[in-house]
Amino acid sequence: MPDEKSVKPMTGRERVLAALKREPVDRTPVCNPTSVATVELMDLVDAPFPDANRKPEVMARLAATGYTELGFDTIMPVFSIIQESSALGCKIQWEQKDNWPTVKMREPIYETADDIVIPADLLTHQDTSCVLKAIEILKKEYGDEVAIIGKTMGPWSLAYHCLGVEPFLLMSLDDPDHTKRILDKLKKVTIDFGVAQIEAGADGLTLPDHATGDLVSGEYYERYLQEMHTEFCDQIPIPLLLHICGRTVDRMDYIAQTGMAAFHYDSKNQPGESMDIVQNRISLVGNINNPETLFSKGPEAVRQEVYKNLDAGIHLIGPECAIPLQTSLENLKEIPKAVRDWHAENLSEN
Amino acid sequence: MAELSDIQNETIRDEIEEYIERPAEIERTIGIFAQAQPLMQRIAAALLEGDHQLVDELAQQALNEGVEALEVMDFGLIAGMGIVGIKFRENFIFVPEVLACARAMKAGMAHIEPILSAAGVESQGLVVMGTVKGDLHDIGKNLCIMMLRGSGFEVVDLGVDTSADEFMDAVEEHKAPVMGMSALLTTTMPNMGKTIEAFIDADLRDDVQIMVGGAPVTQEFADDMGADGYGKDALACVDLAKSLVKA
Repeated sequence: MPDEKSVKPMTGRERVLAALKREPVDRTPVCNPTSVATVELMDLVDAPFPDANRKPEVMARLAATGYTELGFDTIMPVFSIIQESSALGCKIQWEQKDNWPTVKMREPIYETADDIVIPADLLTHQDTSCVLKAIEILKKEYGDEVAIIGKTMGPWSLAYHCLGVEPFLLMSLDDPDHTKRILDKLKKVTIDFGVAQIEAGADGLTLPDHATGDLVSGEYYERYLQEMHTEFCDQIPIPLLLHICGRTVDRMDYIAQTGMAAFHYDSKNQPGESMDIVQNRISLVGNINNPETLFSKGPEAVRQEVYKNLDAGIHLIGPECAIPLQTSLENLKEIPKAVRDWHAENLSEN
Repeated sequence: MAELSDIQNETIRDEIEEYIERPAEIERTIGIFAQAQPLMQRIAAALLEGDHQLVDELAQQALNEGVEALEVMDFGLIAGMGIVGIKFRENFIFVPEVLACARAMKAGMAHIEPILSAAGVESQGLVVMGTVKGDLHDIGKNLCIMMLRGSGFEVVDLGVDTSADEFMDAVEEHKAPVMGMSALLTTTMPNMGKTIEAFIDADLRDDVQIMVGGAPVTQEFADDMGADGYGKDALACVDLAKSLVKA
């Protein structure tokens, strides 16, 4: 842990940006790379789904609660993973406030790489421009205080949405060259939407690319994605936070070589083993368990997981993934509280 | 006791040697394949290589040569999928490889199912399966259904985005003794609990044994929500269904 006594007090934004570079911080930042939207927060600020996913003012209002109500050091306005896919033409099930919007992957829009044509209105479509406008609103209102984190989906995730998970995964085995052509065509979406969010005012971008530990191997990550993720770090000039769910220790070494600022890691990976693998080449963000801890247990269990991460030297603390919409505010507020308490205890011991 | 050398097919012998580590599973798998005639071993080997065209040809060949449909299923297809399940559980292979093997199994089952159906083979029991409300992922559920059907269960597939009412209606309509719920997302997992609560509220909970599964689901989460069982993968799902249908 850096010697925080020698670091002057920081704003949330300064704290997050320093931690993403593994520079000294006044305390470990609390970061939300995915979503902390809950039904309770939607009711509190009258910003329910689906409007909070489609209308920029409503999206910004709900996102701001991550800072104003929960006390996180980041604000993340992109609650779902479907905004770009909607702009590409995928059919979306928008749902209501108690459920997440989802792409209807049983109705794929592409079969082959030749089908992929990036629409001219990619960045002006309602569901992408909504994100850009929400970032502008948040930057103006909170930009000096906290880090505004946007989100641009990686080509592997986009391929699930556009071709269907099962056909795409079978293709990855049957025809690797064709699979690479698909990824290569879809990467333009990742880059263009990412760069547009920088221009809108984002301080960092989460880049989910679901080559998850439960679906594909670490060797798959190396074969299909490592080089492309390295390229994203050049093409999208802002700290990138790669998000991949599941047990991922078999690919963390590859991920650490990409130049990504951070890896948002899942609770299926132990903090200590993960830190041993990445060896300070990339910051780690996470990994408070969602279903068993944040959703099902109480503040004491949340506190224990926060402490476990801090003891291991994890650089930014936050939930492992987008949280269930019925998660209690008490448990979410416990994350920043536990971080402050841990630092107070460790400072007083030193 | 059967020995590895009793198995004629080299691919099967190599798979057992390289990928199966638990002594009881080694013994069981060797026992199955030592009884299997060479053509069944070839079907299993083709399935393990994900070669659906070869499985299709060999299954048809076996039936043409007079091999019983049940024998092709048990000693070719299911035996092969048994090794696939172990390799998946131990992270030797991942979902793309499992999907390729499942595609091969489907190619074989396309020849077997009409024969078994016409013969009126007694079902192991009926299972209602679905992915929970708000979740459109179904690879895991579909693998479970394929293995359940291959193991002799009748399955009513409710598809994805299944509401509590749809689960309850299906269980009542089919008088299903077992129901399975799947979720891939941590954000939709709580809908498993909501569905179980709906069964309690409707006074239907005692009528059905409920099993749950999906990548982020754990035994602890299943227990917290009041499920009767949790299966980590498709093989575990079959074992669980067998035990729950007797409960």
